[in-house]
Amino acid sequence: MSSRDKILGAVKENQPDFRELPPLPDSPVGGTEQLSAKFVSVLEAIGGTAYIVSGFDRIASILREQHHDALRIVSGCPELAFLAETAAHYDDPHTLENIDLAVLRSHFGVAENGACWITEDCMIERALPFIAQHLALIIRKKDIVANMHEAYERIAAAEAAGTAYGFATFIAGPSKTADIEQSLVLGAHGPRSMTVFLLDEEMSDAGFY
Amino acid sequence: MKENTKDHAALAGEFNKDEPRVDWHDKTLWWIREKRDKAAHGVPEWELLRETASGIKENVLSRLHEYLLQFEEQATRNGIKVHWAADAKEHNEIVLSILRQQKVNQMVKSKSMLTEECHLNEYLKEQGIEVVDTDLGERVVQLAGEPPSHIVLPCIHKKKEEIGEIFHQHLGTPAGNADPQFLTEAARQHLREKFLTRRVALTGVNFAVAETGEFVVCTNEGNADMGAHLADVHIACMGIEKLIPQRRHLGVFLRLLTRSATGQPITTYSSHFKKPRPRQEMHIVLVDNGRSVHLGRKDFRSSLKCIRCAACFNTCPVYRRSGGHSYHTAVAGPIGSILAPNLDMKKYADLPFASTLCGSCSNVCPVKIDIHEQLYKWRQVIVQAGNAPIAKKAAMQTMTWVLSNPAVYHTAGKAGRWFMANVPFAVNNSLNPWYKQRDMPEVPGKSFGEWYKKNKK
Amino acid sequence: MKVGLFIPCYVDQFYPQVGIATLQLLEKYGCEVIYPTGQTCCGQPMANSGFEHLTKGSNALFIKNFEEFDYIVCPSGSCVLHIKDHLHSEHGGEVDPAVNIRRKIYELVEFLTDVLKIENIDAKFQHKVGVHQSCHGQRGLKLSQMSELVAAPFSKPEHLLKMVQGIELVELDRKDECCGFGGTFCVAEEAVSVKMGKDRVADHLHHGAEYITSADMSCLMHLDGILKRQKSKTRVKHIAEILNSQE
Repeated sequence: MSSRDKILGAVKENQPDFRELPPLPDSPVGGTEQLSAKFVSVLEAIGGTAYIVSGFDRIASILREQHHDALRIVSGCPELAFLAETAAHYDDPHTLENIDLAVLRSHFGVAENGACWITEDCMIERALPFIAQHLALIIRKKDIVANMHEAYERIAAAEAAGTAYGFATFIAGPSKTADIEQSLVLGAHGPRSMTVFLLDEEMSDAGFY
Repeated sequence: MKENTKDHAALAGEFNKDEPRVDWHDKTLWWIREKRDKAAHGVPEWELLRETASGIKENVLSRLHEYLLQFEEQATRNGIKVHWAADAKEHNEIVLSILRQQKVNQMVKSKSMLTEECHLNEYLKEQGIEVVDTDLGERVVQLAGEPPSHIVLPCIHKKKEEIGEIFHQHLGTPAGNADPQFLTEAARQHLREKFLTRRVALTGVNFAVAETGEFVVCTNEGNADMGAHLADVHIACMGIEKLIPQRRHLGVFLRLLTRSATGQPITTYSSHFKKPRPRQEMHIVLVDNGRSVHLGRKDFRSSLKCIRCAACFNTCPVYRRSGGHSYHTAVAGPIGSILAPNLDMKKYADLPFASTLCGSCSNVCPVKIDIHEQLYKWRQVIVQAGNAPIAKKAAMQTMTWVLSNPAVYHTAGKAGRWFMANVPFAVNNSLNPWYKQRDMPEVPGKSFGEWYKKNKK
Repeated sequence: MKVGLFIPCYVDQFYPQVGIATLQLLEKYGCEVIYPTGQTCCGQPMANSGFEHLTKGSNALFIKNFEEFDYIVCPSGSCVLHIKDHLHSEHGGEVDPAVNIRRKIYELVEFLTDVLKIENIDAKFQHKVGVHQSCHGQRGLKLSQMSELVAAPFSKPEHLLKMVQGIELVELDRKDECCGFGGTFCVAEEAVSVKMGKDRVADHLHHGAEYITSADMSCLMHLDGILKRQKSKTRVKHIAEILNSQE
């Protein structure tokens, strides 16, 4: 008998009587202004930086100022082609090792925890949002949900509309650790800083959901 | 591996020899409990969330067979290779076989308490495989040659000066440098080289979704992702109880997990792994190692709801004042004390007694495991199985006899009080453990019963 | 109403004044109080040590002594909780006497607030007092809200104490941390037990408590042992004594 059969057999025999699934809590409703304000305040509390911007020109000028000594910038946004590499793909993720700044589109933010949801089709390569020394994500200001329940509803809706992912992640602020006597240090193995740009005007809907 | 023969009380006694250090350890962990409180109070529906999470996990345990099959089917369809390990030994062998197949003898690993439980690192070392733990806290204890003392904060028992010294010895940082920023930067550089050169990465699993065949790994450091996305092979190891039914249930658990663990609203990264990268192999090892047996224990099975947040550790007044190593098991603290006896009742017979049954743990547990009630029930099981020390058994038999017989009780009480009043050194001596650091109670002239007889009857 | 007075074994032997204060309080509020002299112990020390199977004798004795009363009242949260959770009988008949007892047993504070519903107390205690929230009373009997839960705060002991003239309740850093007594834990894990007790004492002393009170004498016995060893001027006093005090 294989281990698989052994395990499944033992589980089937020992599992308790059926217990129904509980309903999920209701998701609160929130207006854009309220949600974006909350998102910004939580993101800043966890070590991230937020900018509300009108467009890519503004994003570019902020990035140039903040990362003026960046040698290598990669972006998934063609709008930033003049200051970043905008390749669609890299054969070997190891070659991304010396990226100073990655600027990527993200789908939406979550107000309760300052996180952004990003799927691999926005990452160029899976390693990129982690291996870059600094990370910047761009969302539309109106694409902020109140909490994680709403987040997963949105993710499910996107999948139903045809966009599935092989890898995706919530990113909330810069990488960090407090393992050394509970002293918070920003910049563990992932990016040392994390910036979120909230686009405050209608953009082309391509690539967002 | 050194076999421990001391029990929790003895190890805790040693830990308490350095009182300032106990104060430091206790205050640090209490501070984390306070952060949890603040985070929980920021979610008005917190208690409803706990109830929901508990209900979801109860459903999982009741349908675990079905969910395991569903997960296997979905994950396989996604291109993930699913392995089944009946016990720790098989788990270790499966991991080794994947490494051998890849013809590598090096691996990076992010935090997985399951692999601690299976003693994977030692096994692989014996087989000539170098494992680098990439979680900063885990790397510290790995270099120090110790097991982690906490499942979320592996080196919470280490002072920054000690970590500085460990880094000086192994990473070449300047002697005496204990600055957390500096040391973290040193670790970043040191481990980045490992991420970039290792072809196999092993991670744990926080949650696996039966509906979609994906699994989620939560870190603050980004080390699981750095390992996995640069490796040719990603091995994920999980206990079979880590399943949840549907992806949307992640909303509940991700709201509860990190708030309960550290007081943060969420970890920096909550990575959803569904398919391997092109040209990457992704494996998942489903491990039993006693869980299916535990599932059959009516009084104790609900401990399998655990999502390994360690809120119970941080709130436990005993854990804070004895440290994780006093529990001599991979998962320490209150939850460890109700899981370990299932693995080896004799070896871990002391753990359910390392508690005052205060109940704080049960009330911070995000999935509402009745930990303190299970501690009580394990005590009964352990004693009935013959694992109580003989002296204790004899004392209890005597106590039973005295307390079942009013006449004997009154005589014994009176005699005891007479001795304490007239022959104080009979009890006020070093043989009396109470007396070591506490005075005995004063002896009244009459018991209440005697007063009542005289004044009321 | 006929109240059976249940006095914990160690209160009977070492702290009779607590039993006396309890009896006097209940009589003050119009109860007919009877102390069955054949009582011994609730069985908790054995049960918590894993020897629940040896408590049949003490269970039977308890039922025999207390069956007849309208209410059973005891100045100890942990003893009451133990009876509520674990009293069983080897009954043969239809009605299990243990069920009835579990329903009508009350710890003193909750009896005063929930059954007698007293709104004023004629007592004086002009001192600074720290309230120790005993774990079994708090988390088990819900005598006060525990800090772990996101829920509205309340405290039955404090509600009563605030009625006492001249009393000043002190704030603590850790409102409801365990004192470390824990039954046989106090000797089996002596080092941790004492450290927990010392930390509780330090919290109270740091906030200027002249007295530490609680609804559980076992906690106070443990804290008192430490206070006396430290030669502290601070004393312990069971809540029954404060509610019955005229100083």
